[in-house]
Amino acid sequence: MSLVLEPVRARSLPPSVWPMAALACLALTGPFLAPQDPNAQDLMRVMEAPSITHLLGTDHVGRDILSRVLAGAPHSLGLAVLCVALASCVGVALGLIAANGGAFIGALIMRLADLMLAFPGLLLALLFAGFLGGGIWPLLIGLNLALWPQYARMTEAVATGVLREGHVEAARLAGFSESTILTRHVLPPVLRAVMPLATLGVGQAIMSISALGFLGLGLKPPTPEWGAMINELLPFLAEGFVQMAAPCVMIFLSVLTLTLAGRALASNSTGRAQ
Amino acid sequence: MSATLRIIALRIGQALATAAILASLCFIFVHALPGDLALRIAAARVGDERVTPETADRIRREEGLDRPLIVQYGQWMGNLAQGNLGHSLLSGKPVTQELAYHASFTLQLGLIGWLLSYLIALPLGITAGFRPGGVVDRITDALAVTLASLPTFLVGIGLITLFALTLRWLPPAGFRTGAHMVLPALTLALSLVAFSIPVIRNAVVEVRSAFFMTYARVKGLTPAAAFRHHGVRNAAIPVVTYAALQFAFVIDGFVVIETLFNYPGLGELLVKALIARDVPVIMGAGLIIGFAFAVVSLLADLMRLWLDPRGLEEARA
Repeated sequence: MSLVLEPVRARSLPPSVWPMAALACLALTGPFLAPQDPNAQDLMRVMEAPSITHLLGTDHVGRDILSRVLAGAPHSLGLAVLCVALASCVGVALGLIAANGGAFIGALIMRLADLMLAFPGLLLALLFAGFLGGGIWPLLIGLNLALWPQYARMTEAVATGVLREGHVEAARLAGFSESTILTRHVLPPVLRAVMPLATLGVGQAIMSISALGFLGLGLKPPTPEWGAMINELLPFLAEGFVQMAAPCVMIFLSVLTLTLAGRALASNSTGRAQ
Repeated sequence: MSATLRIIALRIGQALATAAILASLCFIFVHALPGDLALRIAAARVGDERVTPETADRIRREEGLDRPLIVQYGQWMGNLAQGNLGHSLLSGKPVTQELAYHASFTLQLGLIGWLLSYLIALPLGITAGFRPGGVVDRITDALAVTLASLPTFLVGIGLITLFALTLRWLPPAGFRTGAHMVLPALTLALSLVAFSIPVIRNAVVEVRSAFFMTYARVKGLTPAAAFRHHGVRNAAIPVVTYAALQFAFVIDGFVVIETLFNYPGLGELLVKALIARDVPVIMGAGLIIGFAFAVVSLLADLMRLWLDPRGLEEARA
């Protein structure tokens, strides 16, 4: 907890916190802000230009774009956060086991991580989503398989370093249990290293999820996921520029926010941006 | 030389293991799918409405689907080892033939896009690295962050809107002429540039602050000559390593790019097969992409050893 509270107390919040907070609000409240039913079709008013009733226009079956973009926020953003949260938990846990457990288990986990890293990321998610027929679970499993190794590697590298340090040895000699040492001395530096990675990771996950949606292999229509919206609007690109721009801009702004926040976090923890 | 051979053998082993795991995964996926596999194949061959239990039974016997799973697995791996990937359920053509046709298109697009990306990234990255914090550095940094935050299909849609729909200079999709190649290749290049500019810039900054560069300047070389003679090779090491990693981005990218531009490459084949559940083609495409990935990272390792023979000493020790 101190990792979060310290900068708050010291009033040294990076400026990127505010757009992040805005994104979080959007993901939580988006569907309630939608002025109209995101799936209500109106075939008399297809591909309409922006107006007072439809601020961002309508799509090819007359659905309100603004409502769909807002209602899509939890799918596009929330799912990405869920993905990275799961992957980083699994990765950190396996990394700690690899660093702390026996040589055999450590080698086993790290070789497994290497092997998973040898697959191009989107391919795994594609195969999973394709074989299992889209939906949330194949997406989560596929992306997680691709994501956990980076966290495991980072955790293992940091944890092995910390475990060799003097203060850990002192703690061990003082008789503290293995689990106390792990949570008190090893976990904080590990989390400090994993946080920037995870922040960037959420941005990557947003891109992967929307890419799968765009390919027609992600969440199933009529779910208003941003990538799937772009896929549906693509044939009408020439007529509906505003309609197409809406989900595109949302994806771009979300990923940009997370990229900048990740960079800020990374430069905070290493002292200098990459 | 034996160390080099050992590394090559190790990496080839790794590539084969990757392929074997991919193949096994595919096998598991196919047999874990809900529903009767024989019925599904029958539906793909004769059409949904004309499937009878008899055709399904015939196919079950023909394809050996009534045998125990372990026997089927052995057969599947055996066929793979002989390069026999079966026939497409949709077109009926051998999968190897389909793959070869589509792979040539992907290879063209990938190579052109990759080269183009370095044509853009190298001058920008090196200029930025020569004056960290300068105008060029700040502009390229903003450019790289912006491009890194744009999914590939957004870059593509932006380029189509600008060049094909508004300016009408280039065709929006298809593959008949060279002009059809420009937008997909540019899309690929731009999404790669986002990641290669910072790598090149950092490599240059790092090398320029090294002691041997100060020495070269002290000995009287101009900054440009010092960089040419002592800097380039050292700066190239991380860049080459990264270039291989980027092949992963090429793969993620070309699946999306080919679908967007309706370009008949491997990625488009894979996505179409996934949507149609054309299992043999999916497996073939997945296998070949995974294997290509392993081969490129092997090439990158060899290139790095050639640039920096110190890695060989480590491997020998």
